[in-house]
Amino acid sequence: MSMPTAGTGWAVRVPTGYRVGPWEVTAPIATGNFGSVYAARHTGTGTDAALKFIAPPPTARHAELVELAEREVAFSRQADHEHLVTALDTLVVDDPGQPFHGAVVLVMERAERSLQDLLDEGDAGRPVPGAGRLVMQICAGLAYLHANGWVHGDLKPSNVLIMADGSVRLADFGLITRLDGTHGYGPPLGSPDYQPPEQWTECLGERGIHIRPASDVWALGVTAHQMQTGGSFPFPGGTPGARVAAAQEFAAGRAPLRLQGDIDPGWRGFVELCLAPGTDRPPASALLQHAQRLASEPGRPPARRRRPRLRRLLVPGLLVAVPAAAGGVWLLTAGEDPTPRTPAAATVTVFNAEVPCQEQRVRACSLGLALDPRKNYAADNVSQHRVWHGDRLAADCVLYEGSRVADEYGVGSTTWYRVAVAAEPGGHAWLPAVRTHDAPTLPVCVLPR
Amino acid sequence: MGTLLVHVPPVDGRPPLSLHLSAGERAQFGRGAPGHPVPIVLADPAVPRIAGEIATAETYWHLSNLSRDQNLVVENPEGAGEYIRVAPRRLSAPVPFEFSRVVLATRTGAVGFQVYAPDHSYLDVTAAVPESGAATVSPFSLDEQATYFLVLTALCEPRLRDQDVAVPTTPQIVRRLRPHPQCRTISASAVGFHIDYLASTKLRIRPPDQQERLDWKRGTLVSVALRFGLVREEHLALLPRSAEAR
Repeated sequence: MSMPTAGTGWAVRVPTGYRVGPWEVTAPIATGNFGSVYAARHTGTGTDAALKFIAPPPTARHAELVELAEREVAFSRQADHEHLVTALDTLVVDDPGQPFHGAVVLVMERAERSLQDLLDEGDAGRPVPGAGRLVMQICAGLAYLHANGWVHGDLKPSNVLIMADGSVRLADFGLITRLDGTHGYGPPLGSPDYQPPEQWTECLGERGIHIRPASDVWALGVTAHQMQTGGSFPFPGGTPGARVAAAQEFAAGRAPLRLQGDIDPGWRGFVELCLAPGTDRPPASALLQHAQRLASEPGRPPARRRRPRLRRLLVPGLLVAVPAAAGGVWLLTAGEDPTPRTPAAATVTVFNAEVPCQEQRVRACSLGLALDPRKNYAADNVSQHRVWHGDRLAADCVLYEGSRVADEYGVGSTTWYRVAVAAEPGGHAWLPAVRTHDAPTLPVCVLPR
Repeated sequence: MGTLLVHVPPVDGRPPLSLHLSAGERAQFGRGAPGHPVPIVLADPAVPRIAGEIATAETYWHLSNLSRDQNLVVENPEGAGEYIRVAPRRLSAPVPFEFSRVVLATRTGAVGFQVYAPDHSYLDVTAAVPESGAATVSPFSLDEQATYFLVLTALCEPRLRDQDVAVPTTPQIVRRLRPHPQCRTISASAVGFHIDYLASTKLRIRPPDQQERLDWKRGTLVSVALRFGLVREEHLALLPRSAEAR
């Protein structure tokens, strides 16, 4: 056969053209010590897939590897999301004539390449093409996982696949963990550069180590930093060991976070939120909104130099202070529902990040509107009109460069919507974009200097 | 990563000293001087006031010899006579051993202290050697050539051989390992040290919810090591051949 075949170093050598079930192997892709991945095509439908052959017993750790594959398939049967790779099936090779007789085969959706390939091809120091959109899609996949009680456990660029249409799929759910309350348990494996600092001091029990959604968020921060910088890690050092040590120094409060100087300030803020030293990092759902705003803000690259103020405000300590202060101010007064006075261009629905407040229309759960979005959000800058979660407000324009407001999770934005409030002299007040999930298309507000 | 454990043995009635250094931390050692105390005190008149400094560095550590004319020797007690000599005034010499004994020669003999660098990392056994991207590393990786690994393997042996569910006792471990060239003189307290080191430093074993048994450490060590494939059947070959094993 003249087709390429896997070399001698391959854990499982499957000849090109070999058929397992309805799948025909078309090319080798990659190998590990105990398994090899091949491209394959469905002989009936012509569908492309990736087949992961797990070396048959008596290989060391065979049972453990099969367990990981079974986890992956069991997970795929329950999870269905446009940004997660689907494991289609498992098969067992029944061919006593082959050395790999008895191998378990995991059939997965076939991707074009991985995010790591994209980083390898790209220019060091420059964001990979479409970085913002890709990060947003990773967030969407993670938010879905977390909302459904799963933790990925091994998020990194080589486990993020890029499909033929350019969309992102999270892959490799061998370490996926079911949450049991606030954390799950998983095997003590992973990639040091993407593991949160707390994992290095985590205790090992009979079921594994604690794995939390916040672990995935840390890995997201590292991945996002690499995508915005063409592959650089957020912590300095020439080896994973040095970088892990630097991350631990940062987490222990002995060293500040020093990200690369030329990372876009908006994304710098995003990375800093993900790399919070404690485990109370923002949830993936909030980061998804944050990424959506960053990816959609017009003219981001030139904004780098126009907004030195934003960079300063994004120091983590201040981010913690801002929501606390805003929360205090926002509960100062109560009032009636705002009613639209003039026809508006879009409706925005108020979102309160504090879940208990999403049900209760009480004074303590009300949110405020600013009178001037460019001024500090303080007591003298709040409309008498309060709004609550679920209120629908009429917005007529958007301001991208107002003062910065962060919500209870530290997700911050400088974007504001001008909304109709009949009782205000000007007929409107301002809703910070962190207080809604909507992202309507609106004209940019023109304000007097 | 970057953690160091420093242990100064008791000398002349002085209590032993244990010190934990985290990533980015450093500590001087020596006799100390009035107004300049050192964290690692070696109370011997032949030791310079400030003899040297150790500093964490990712998975290894640095040793600086601050004395003007005395060599420092770093021995690897597990390395069959392996050692490093650090010349006077040499700064930041890298030390690669997991277990080290830093020794200063004095007129009356030698004084020294131990440094453990438990954060050595290894490629996970199931992982591919990546051409690019990040390798999957076990954060609980073990040195399969170290004595503690022999102790762990001996603890797991009955379960791996399906012989017995009981975890071996310390005297049984001592008897099992004595024929091994690395363990000719291993004592019960050394086995105890290795079990403690595995449980609290290398694997960071979480105590079971109901701490009903005093010897939970060895039982949990065995179940964790087997559950996560840290000790496997192939490792039994590391143990000396034994009559009952054949």
